[in-house]
Amino acid sequence: MSGRRVRAITRRLLQGFRRDRRTVALLFVAPIVILGLLGYLMRGSTSAPAVGIANQDSGPLGALVADTLRHSTRISTSDISATDGDAKLRDGSLVAYILFPSNFSQQAQSGSVAPEVHLEGSQPGEDSPVIQALQQSMISLASQVAGRSIRFEPSVKYLYGGASYDTLDYFGAAFVGLIVFFLVFVITIVSFLNERSQGTLERLMASPLRRGEIVLGYMLGFTVLALVQAAEVLVFALAVLRIQNHGNVFLIFGMEALMAIAAVNLGIFLSMFARSEFQAVQFIPLVIVPQVLLSGIIFPVSTEPTALQYVSDVLPLTYAVNGMRDIMVKGADLSWSALQLDAAVVAGFCILLIAAGTTTLRRRLG
Amino acid sequence: MSDAFAVNVEDVSKSFGAFKALNGVTLRVRQGEIYGLLGPNGAGKTTIIRLVCGLLEAHAGTVTVLGRRMPNVGVLRHIGYMTQQAALYPAISVEENVRFFAAINGAEEGVREALELVQLYDRRGSVVSTLSGGMRQRCSLACALVHRPELLLLDEPTVGIDPQLRVQFWDYFRRMAAQGTTLIVSSHVMDEADRCQRLGLIQYGRLLAEGSPADIRSQGGSQNLEEAFLALAGRKES
Ligand SMILES: Nc1ncnc2c1ncn2[C@@H]1O[C@H](COP(=O)(O)OP(=O)(O)OP(=O)(O)O)[C@@H](O)[C@H]1O
Ligand SMILES: [Mg+2]
Repeated sequence: MSGRRVRAITRRLLQGFRRDRRTVALLFVAPIVILGLLGYLMRGSTSAPAVGIANQDSGPLGALVADTLRHSTRISTSDISATDGDAKLRDGSLVAYILFPSNFSQQAQSGSVAPEVHLEGSQPGEDSPVIQALQQSMISLASQVAGRSIRFEPSVKYLYGGASYDTLDYFGAAFVGLIVFFLVFVITIVSFLNERSQGTLERLMASPLRRGEIVLGYMLGFTVLALVQAAEVLVFALAVLRIQNHGNVFLIFGMEALMAIAAVNLGIFLSMFARSEFQAVQFIPLVIVPQVLLSGIIFPVSTEPTALQYVSDVLPLTYAVNGMRDIMVKGADLSWSALQLDAAVVAGFCILLIAAGTTTLRRRLG
Repeated sequence: MSDAFAVNVEDVSKSFGAFKALNGVTLRVRQGEIYGLLGPNGAGKTTIIRLVCGLLEAHAGTVTVLGRRMPNVGVLRHIGYMTQQAALYPAISVEENVRFFAAINGAEEGVREALELVQLYDRRGSVVSTLSGGMRQRCSLACALVHRPELLLLDEPTVGIDPQLRVQFWDYFRRMAAQGTTLIVSSHVMDEADRCQRLGLIQYGRLLAEGSPADIRSQGGSQNLEEAFLALAGRKES
C-alpha cells in the first residue's frame, strides 16, 4: 500500500471535477433542490380532504353530528344533497360524503347508528381522516342520549377500489408506467451518448440518413424493447402481485407505449446536453426525481402547495400517471374525457420531444 | 471550372471558438485522383475532411463536392467517410456493422466484397469489441466503401495496418481511382504520400504547398520527400 499511489488516484479524480463544473454544481445543488421540494411538499400541503355531508335525518341528532363534523380540523366539509354525492366523487370535487339516513335519530335511541360513508376510494390514504372525524363526532352523540352506549357501525361504500384496495394497488398503477418510463429513458440517453463518444454518430451524420430517420429508428427500436418490458411488468403486477385492475389491459399497454415514446425522445433530446455518460446519469436526479415527487405518484397533485401544482401541470408524467390510475383503478376507457385529455397531453409531449430531439441532433458537431 | 474537380475547397477558414483551425485554405481535387493530405498533428487535416463531407460548416469560403455546395444532404450518398478512430458499434459483429452502413446507404449487395477486400470475411461473425486494433481499422474501412462511393475520404486509413495489407490497400485504392473514384487520404507517412497523385501539405491550418510528389521534391529542394516536406515547413515558419 503506497500513500503516493493512492493520492494519485484521489488527485486525478478531483482534477476531473475541477473542469466539470456541472457535476460539481449538481453534487451540491441537487440535494438541496430535492430535499427542499420534499419538505415543501410535505409541510406545505395542509389541505384537509373535502367531505360532503348529506343530512336526511328526520330527527335532531343528524344535524348535531353534522355540526360537530363541520368543526373538525381533519376534514373540510360542505353540505350537499344526497343525490349529488356520487357525481361529486366522480368529478373529484369530493373525496367522500357522509349520509345520515332519515331514521338516524331513531337508530341512536336504539343504541346502534349506521351513517353511510361514501368514499371515492382511489387514494388509500384519504379514507382514514374521514372515518376518524366521524368517529370523534359520535362522542357528542353519546352525551345527548344519556345512559346508553351507542354502537357505531358505519356502512362504508367505495366508488372505486373497495375494501380490499390497498396502497400497492394505488402505487402499482402508477409504477407500472413509471418503471418503463424510467428505464427506457436511461437506456436511450446512455446508448445515444455511446453513439456520440464512439464516433458512430459522426459517421451517421456523414451518411444520407436524415436526422428524423435517426430519431425515428431509435424510437422504434427502444419502443419495441419497452413494450416487451411493459408486457412483462404488467403480467407480473397483475398475476403475481395481484394489483387490482378494472380497466382494459390493451389501454394500459397503449398508455405505456406512449410513455416509452416520450422517454426515448426525452433521452435523445437530453443526450445533446451531456458530454459523457457521467453527465448523462446526472439527468436522473434532475429529471426523474422531481417528476416522481410532483407527478402525483406519491402526493396527489390536488394536495400540493399551489405553486407546485403549476409545475405538476406541465410535467408529462403527471398526465401519464393520472391516466394509468384512471384506467386501472377506475376502469376508465377512451370514452372518458379525463382519459382522453391525459392520453392527448402525453401524445403531445411525445411530438414535442420528437421535434426537440430532431432539431438539436445537429448541434455539438460543429 | 468547378465541374472538372470532384472537390473544390475555396479559401476556407474555420474557427473553434477563438482558435483558427483553418486559415484561407484552397485545394482542388480532380475526379479519379488520389489526393494526399499531409501535415503534422493538429495541422487541420481532419477538419478539412469534415468540411468536405459537410459535418462542419466553413466560416468563410466555400466547399463544393461533386458540383454541389456543401453542406448538402443529397451528395452524402456518394461519399464514403472513414473516420480517424475506427467508429464502429462494438457490441455487434463485423458483418452486422458493415451491413448496417451498407443499409443506410442503400447498398446491401456490396457487403461480401467489402469484407473480402479487408480480409475479414472469415472473421465476419466476430464481435467488434473482440477484434485487434488493426482489424477494427479494416472493418472501419469496409464500412466506408461498402456502398462504392464516388468520393472516398480516408482519415489516416493505414494506421495500425500491417505492411502486407497496407500494400494491398494501396493497390485497391489505385484500382478504385482508375475506375473513377476520387480519394482524399490523410497521412503522416511519407512513403504513402509517394503513392498519391497529388499532395497538399498542411501546417497551422494553411496550405503550405501543393502538387505531385515530384513537384514537392523540387519545391523543397530534396530528393527525399520527408526532407522536402520539412524544408517547406521550416521555410514558412521562419
Ligand atoms: N471540435 C473542436 N473543438 C475545438 N478545437 C478543435 C476541434 N476540432 C479540432 N480542433 C482543433 O483544430 C486543430 C486541427 O485539428 P485536426 O483534427 O483537424 O488536426 P489533424 O491535422 O487531423 O491532426 P492529427 O494528425 O493529429 O489527426 C487542432 O488544434 C484541434 O485542437
Ligand atoms: Mg486528424
